[in-house]
Amino acid sequence: MSGSVPAASLRSAVKRRRLGATPPERLAYRLLLPVLGVVFIIVLIPLLVALVSSLRADGDGPFVGAQNYVRALSNPLLYVALRATGIYALIVLPMEIVLGTALALLVHRSVRSPTVRALIFVFAIMPIVIPPVGVGVMARLIYAPDYGALNHLLQLAGLIQREIPWLSQPTGAMLSVASVDVWQWTPFVYLVMFAGLQTVPRESVEAAQVDGATWWQQFLRIELFYLRPLLLLVLFLRLADVLRVFDHIFVLTGGGPGTATQLLSLYLYRIGFKFFNSGEAAALAILVLVGMILLYTGVSRLLPVERD
Amino acid sequence: MRRSRPALRLIAWLAIAVFGLVYLFPLYWLINTSLKSRAELFASTPTLVVESPTLDPYLSVLFDRGFLGLLRNSLLVCSLTVLLTLAISLAITYPITRLPMSRGMRVWVLNWALSLRFFPPIAIVVPYFVIVRTIGLYNHPLALVFVYSLINLPFGIWMLKGFLSEVPQEVEEAAYVDGATRAIAFRRVLLPLIAPGLLASAVIIFAFCWSEFLFALILTATRDAQTFPVGVQGLVTQFEIIWNEMAAAGVIAIAVPLVLMLLARRYVLAGLTFGVIREK
Repeated sequence: MSGSVPAASLRSAVKRRRLGATPPERLAYRLLLPVLGVVFIIVLIPLLVALVSSLRADGDGPFVGAQNYVRALSNPLLYVALRATGIYALIVLPMEIVLGTALALLVHRSVRSPTVRALIFVFAIMPIVIPPVGVGVMARLIYAPDYGALNHLLQLAGLIQREIPWLSQPTGAMLSVASVDVWQWTPFVYLVMFAGLQTVPRESVEAAQVDGATWWQQFLRIELFYLRPLLLLVLFLRLADVLRVFDHIFVLTGGGPGTATQLLSLYLYRIGFKFFNSGEAAALAILVLVGMILLYTGVSRLLPVERD
Repeated sequence: MRRSRPALRLIAWLAIAVFGLVYLFPLYWLINTSLKSRAELFASTPTLVVESPTLDPYLSVLFDRGFLGLLRNSLLVCSLTVLLTLAISLAITYPITRLPMSRGMRVWVLNWALSLRFFPPIAIVVPYFVIVRTIGLYNHPLALVFVYSLINLPFGIWMLKGFLSEVPQEVEEAAYVDGATRAIAFRRVLLPLIAPGLLASAVIIFAFCWSEFLFALILTATRDAQTFPVGVQGLVTQFEIIWNEMAAAGVIAIAVPLVLMLLARRYVLAGLTFGVIREK
């Protein structure tokens, strides 16, 4: 809390020792607790519903113990989906972080004009608020057979003779889907890294330059040091988003061809809302939740997030 | 002094230009396609620059295909969501930032809000579907309003907490000295001071709400409640894709949050990047 309640908290702390909670303190809890309680319950109910349906046959039949979990875990398609999610993350995260950081470094070092910087800044915010469905449509116009711009441009440049069916072969589909993610989220990494670069103290950079540090040494030895906490944070936020990704893949490939781009969330959607295996879907939902809680508590210990 | 090396700067500028080109081309192609007539669409090779631009695809999508109704649903759902989310966020952040409270409680609430942000939507959409059907809100805009308010609550809480704690406590205390009650100080002093922050939060929440697709896809079924992104997706998976109309719908879907955000861009950044970036 930046500078709040210096005198007031001291006074209330003194009073509290004498009389228990002070009126403002009571007001605080009277305002906070009902709202918090309602929200808490609303968050809790779906979890309980999921837990209960995961223990019943078809989600609302008789209780069957762990059967749904066994079924969910023994479905080989689950592991296909996990593998696809892993591949997707391994393509997307390094590309976004490297490209975003590189661009931030380029702009930081070589663009002096405030107008150009502001322009790049505005362009970089744009994709964050664009609906992924819209981006999926856009990508469809790039990769689709017959009308797709990419094939057309490659043919114009004389690089290919025949159309490449980007979306109907597994590797092409995965790359197309990943490229959309990179397109939409590299600017976010750029924004964070660019802001981080502005906090690097000028003196240390100048000292390094006087000592004859090269472009690359200056980055590796000085700037990277200040960017490291931000890199971790970006990695964490992007990882969280990659594990949730659904919209643009649904529009672009629908998980196909076959199961090539069927990431975890698309797989769960298919189990729950295409095959209507409610029990198995609920069990999967619980498993995904538990898995993510474990993952986040593990990763978030590394994070420099301000806690207060 | 910075030693400028012309060759290096040229390479840097070239790289930035390539980034820009790759980034902007898809947007250009989308807009380009959305302005093509049916006839131009079926030219043997796609035209790189639209030859006779027409607004027909937009009109056809909005009126013939009834996307105007979807637009109305989206605006309704998102406006209500913004109001509800901000109201709940304010009720939670006001006591946290302006009233005495134990530090442990404060930290717990903020962390709890943050953890909500990381819930995987696909996992909670399964039970939500069951609940919404049970209480009879399936295919009703209100179901989306409730779910979206919950999803956006972490943003609301963290953004308002930031804006509220930037207002010095003394401002309110001065009002109390002048005889104002807590409620009056809140309405007349605090609220106007955080108005820009509220506006920024409203824009961001609106944009996120506008973009949401998964819950809208699952919790709605007909044009009465479907939102714009669901309609856009419907154009894509049809047997025969009408490229120009699909592109026009895509342009509208992208333009709405962009226009809003550009209008309020001065305030929006801190919230969008989760406070990672602070403007100096």
